[in-house]
Amino acid sequence: MDFEALWLTLRLAAATTAILLLLAVPLAWWIASGLGTMRALVQAVVALPLVLPPTVLGFYLLVAMGPLTAPGRLLILLFGHTLAFSFTGLLIGSVLYSLPFAVQPLVAGFEAVDRGYIEVAAGLGASPWRVFRTVVLPMARTSLLTATVLTFTHTVGEFGVVLMLGGNIPGATRTLSISLYDLVQDGNYAAANRTALALVVFAAAALAAIYLLPSVRRSDGRQADVVR
Amino acid sequence: MSSDSLLEVKMRHRVGGIALDVEFALTQPWTVLFGPSGSGKTTVLRTIAGFVRPAEGRVVCAGRVVVDTKEKVFIPAHLRPVRSAAQAARLFRNMTVEENVAYGMAWESHPDDTKQVLQETLEWMRLTTLASRKTDGLSGGERQRVSVARAVAAAIAYDGTERPLLLLDEPFAGLDAVLRDELVVMLRECLRRWKIPVLSVSHDTGECYLLGAEVIRISEGQVVDQGPVERVLVEERQRMLERLRVER
Repeated sequence: MDFEALWLTLRLAAATTAILLLLAVPLAWWIASGLGTMRALVQAVVALPLVLPPTVLGFYLLVAMGPLTAPGRLLILLFGHTLAFSFTGLLIGSVLYSLPFAVQPLVAGFEAVDRGYIEVAAGLGASPWRVFRTVVLPMARTSLLTATVLTFTHTVGEFGVVLMLGGNIPGATRTLSISLYDLVQDGNYAAANRTALALVVFAAAALAAIYLLPSVRRSDGRQADVVR
Repeated sequence: MSSDSLLEVKMRHRVGGIALDVEFALTQPWTVLFGPSGSGKTTVLRTIAGFVRPAEGRVVCAGRVVVDTKEKVFIPAHLRPVRSAAQAARLFRNMTVEENVAYGMAWESHPDDTKQVLQETLEWMRLTTLASRKTDGLSGGERQRVSVARAVAAAIAYDGTERPLLLLDEPFAGLDAVLRDELVVMLRECLRRWKIPVLSVSHDTGECYLLGAEVIRISEGQVVDQGPVERVLVEERQRMLERLRVER
């Protein structure tokens, strides 16, 4: 197995997940807090990576980060080189590509929070930030965990965007899924099988964590309601 | 309206099939909004608390204008000199009974006083033995008491300079009669001591008599009477006594 690729993949997934949660939590809360047209449009844009071929997203990012566009030139000025074919470039691509996997579970979780609890807290003098931190987030913690696991695993399994945007540079942009592709191209099926199996086991274990952990199963409150 | 009132409400609003059009002022320490279900009592309470934006109206609480539709004033709920408990006891599931009751207490620079008020409130509401319990296993009556205690503690340990108004929507609903009678008297005394004015909602004649409260009678969205309980609810009292005589 290509351990360099494994390490890079884990770093990319961890960084993507951290950045995405910081972005997705406020964005999802804003989407879930109202009904306007603007919110619907933002939700549609957030969902785009679900239906677009990853290569389309990768292509536009490649162009946007290159010297042909104003933002690209600004990035080159800031970093001294183009972000394409670099870890930072991959990270930007991953954040955009996994955006719906972080935002959508959170929107569902926030929408499921009974507004009555928010009123109770406000009626006790709690500021909106305190209400969010102490009432909404704990009630939506299953969704927070789902969003974290889905974002992480989705980034681990990403292929098209990485190939378009990062190329295939060992140690810099070659992730596990690209390494698998290379192994198959080389006809090294035994090694490819090991890498593929590792990805399958990892994804299955992550999903099992969402559905199986007792704390997760209880935290949606349904069991407690039945008991009462 | 008198200028030294604790609360002045003047509002028009449509909710469900009811056209609310009410005007009243609070001058007594405990006032009850009395009326049948669906008469608009809860909507009035929610407007004062800041959860309903009235179509038209003005609400002045503890000398502060919190709603004025003409002047486009609408102070958000958490910034109003008001603390409230809704009819449904929604307890924070991730906290213990004690943490629930302490949630709205805002005397951050006086931890000892906060602790004392918290312990007293738990005692008044007969919750001391439940203090460290999670809320999931509590009975309906226990949940109701935690919900009321939480609002009472928040009103006592209020961080502003004025005394906040306490709004309680059917605070004693679902409690057995003996416990209810004890709590009514206890709560009335403790809130009087802390000089916290209360506006509660009820359709229970006995409760209003026990409180010795001022009563505002609401019917089909209108205030039809306001005064001491002995006068406003004289018919209900008569009816209750007659029913007792018949049963005897």
